[in-house]
Amino acid sequence: MKRKYSKQQSLIAILVLTLVLLLAMALSLLLGSVMLSPAELFKSEIFWQLRLPRVILSALVGLLLAVPGVILQGVLRNPLADPYILGVSAGGGIGAAVAIAFGLSFTVFGMSPIPLLAFACSLLAVYVVYKLAEIGGKTVPETLVLAGVALSSFCAAVLSLIVVVTGNLQAIYFWLLGSLAAASWSNVLTVLPYALLGIGVAFFYSKELNALLLGEDMAQTLGVDVEQSRFVLIGAASLMTAAAVSVSGLIGFVGLIVPHWVRLLIGPNHRYLLPLSALSGMLLLVVADVLARTILSPQEVPIGIVMSLVGAPFFLYLLRRRRTEGR
Amino acid sequence: MSILKVEDLVCGYDRRKPVVKGVSFEVGDGQFVGIVGPNGSGKTTLLRAVTGLIPAFHGTITVGKNRIDHLERRELARRIAFVPQLMEPVDGFTVEDLVLLGRTPYLGRFAFEGPEDYEAVKWAIQELKIEGLKERPTTELSGGEFQRVAIARALAQEPKVLLLDEPTSHLDIRYQVNICKLLRKLRSHRSIVATFHDLNLASRFCSRLILMKNGELVAQGTPDEVVTPENIWTAYRIKVSVRKNLRTQKARYVLLP
Repeated sequence: MKRKYSKQQSLIAILVLTLVLLLAMALSLLLGSVMLSPAELFKSEIFWQLRLPRVILSALVGLLLAVPGVILQGVLRNPLADPYILGVSAGGGIGAAVAIAFGLSFTVFGMSPIPLLAFACSLLAVYVVYKLAEIGGKTVPETLVLAGVALSSFCAAVLSLIVVVTGNLQAIYFWLLGSLAAASWSNVLTVLPYALLGIGVAFFYSKELNALLLGEDMAQTLGVDVEQSRFVLIGAASLMTAAAVSVSGLIGFVGLIVPHWVRLLIGPNHRYLLPLSALSGMLLLVVADVLARTILSPQEVPIGIVMSLVGAPFFLYLLRRRRTEGR
Repeated sequence: MSILKVEDLVCGYDRRKPVVKGVSFEVGDGQFVGIVGPNGSGKTTLLRAVTGLIPAFHGTITVGKNRIDHLERRELARRIAFVPQLMEPVDGFTVEDLVLLGRTPYLGRFAFEGPEDYEAVKWAIQELKIEGLKERPTTELSGGEFQRVAIARALAQEPKVLLLDEPTSHLDIRYQVNICKLLRKLRSHRSIVATFHDLNLASRFCSRLILMKNGELVAQGTPDEVVTPENIWTAYRIKVSVRKNLRTQKARYVLLP
């Protein structure tokens, strides 16, 4: 049998994906409920203040959702790990909801309360799920998913409770569904550093992620500081998830679909898996956002609904495939 | 000259109940040392301490001139490589990809594998005679084939000491002998320490044996010195007689009726 990938093929794939992404972004800028000719477009408010930040934000959110999937799947050695499945997004959602509902406004190190609380709650959620799924020092894939589902339901209940208590239905329901409708330049600037930092950290640790494919013990005998790598990588994944949640609410399945698809194409080497997953995540969200804006035009479908409609069946397919493989 | 020196080692998973209780031995350049003993005698725990996976409660482990707890992780990984009893194949990795992971302790932060890394991988693959498997997915190999891949990965680390935990226990007799012959050949480049279930197999191929029971040494020395009815009675509580294999002149035990 022939090998699945080579360095050259991966570099070509990166190039092709970048071009397709740019094309999709350009297309997304032209499409919308108000059709404008290119000449009018460049002069309009709609283009500069609505469409452009929105397209850029959708791409950034795509990256912020896809890369944590790659990281968590690698660190937890679990193909089903994903911030959404593990309840990390939902945890972050609670943080964001608390910040919105109580109208908090303070800054710590330049971070506003929404991403800050979202981050704190995401980290807490990762810790809880990881501890729940740990049996004898090992995380069991199925238990991890079950713990994640339970935590997600719990977080959804807490979110509903916050809605009931504060009566702030409109704003919080928006987070639950996941939407890019609130895109603005300030949102873009909020998440940009996390996107750059996150992909940077992940790439910085790609050697460790590769060694972890052999298990934690083997990684350690290969000279990897397992504890430290795990800490930094899970921290980065939570931070990225929290950043995405704070601007777009709960958009599911990106971190699950994208890394699996890329792995099937080029294999599990994180040097290629990370950049290609980042690009694919960006592309997926840009395309999904075009769909969200146009399928029921002029009404907009929240992008979270679009992703769940596509993502949930794909997740079931993965579960079945794992079972038929007998692992 | 001794490459690996273990002095009065006490280790385990609980300080109050150590598994290995004061073991000392030395491994010389180019030796193939077999660690044997009944189940639960502490063979695997001893190996895990030597790889640095678990800390020593007492005593020292020295590789070359340095204690392993004084070495930086990456430096330790360049000196000692470990082949676990069961390594899992990596879905989507070819044999060459997997062996290349052995180069991890030599890679810089952003550096991709260079010519010397591919050179080391090529050499390891040749030593284990798995050139024909190079492009095969690791998930499609037989147990014997994969064990050779696992050893090649450790060899790509270019270690001074190669440690193997039960390298033959999942294999049929053809591969058991095959792996042992390969290991015996490899020791010309580096020292090898492996645990074995099969005492006769260890006696046949190892240059020295270490016999353990309940975390303590029963005997160590050449196979002739270790494989004696008295030692085997002490360690396993079974009565055997010891014969010499007529062709190899190696000691082997035979169960008494």
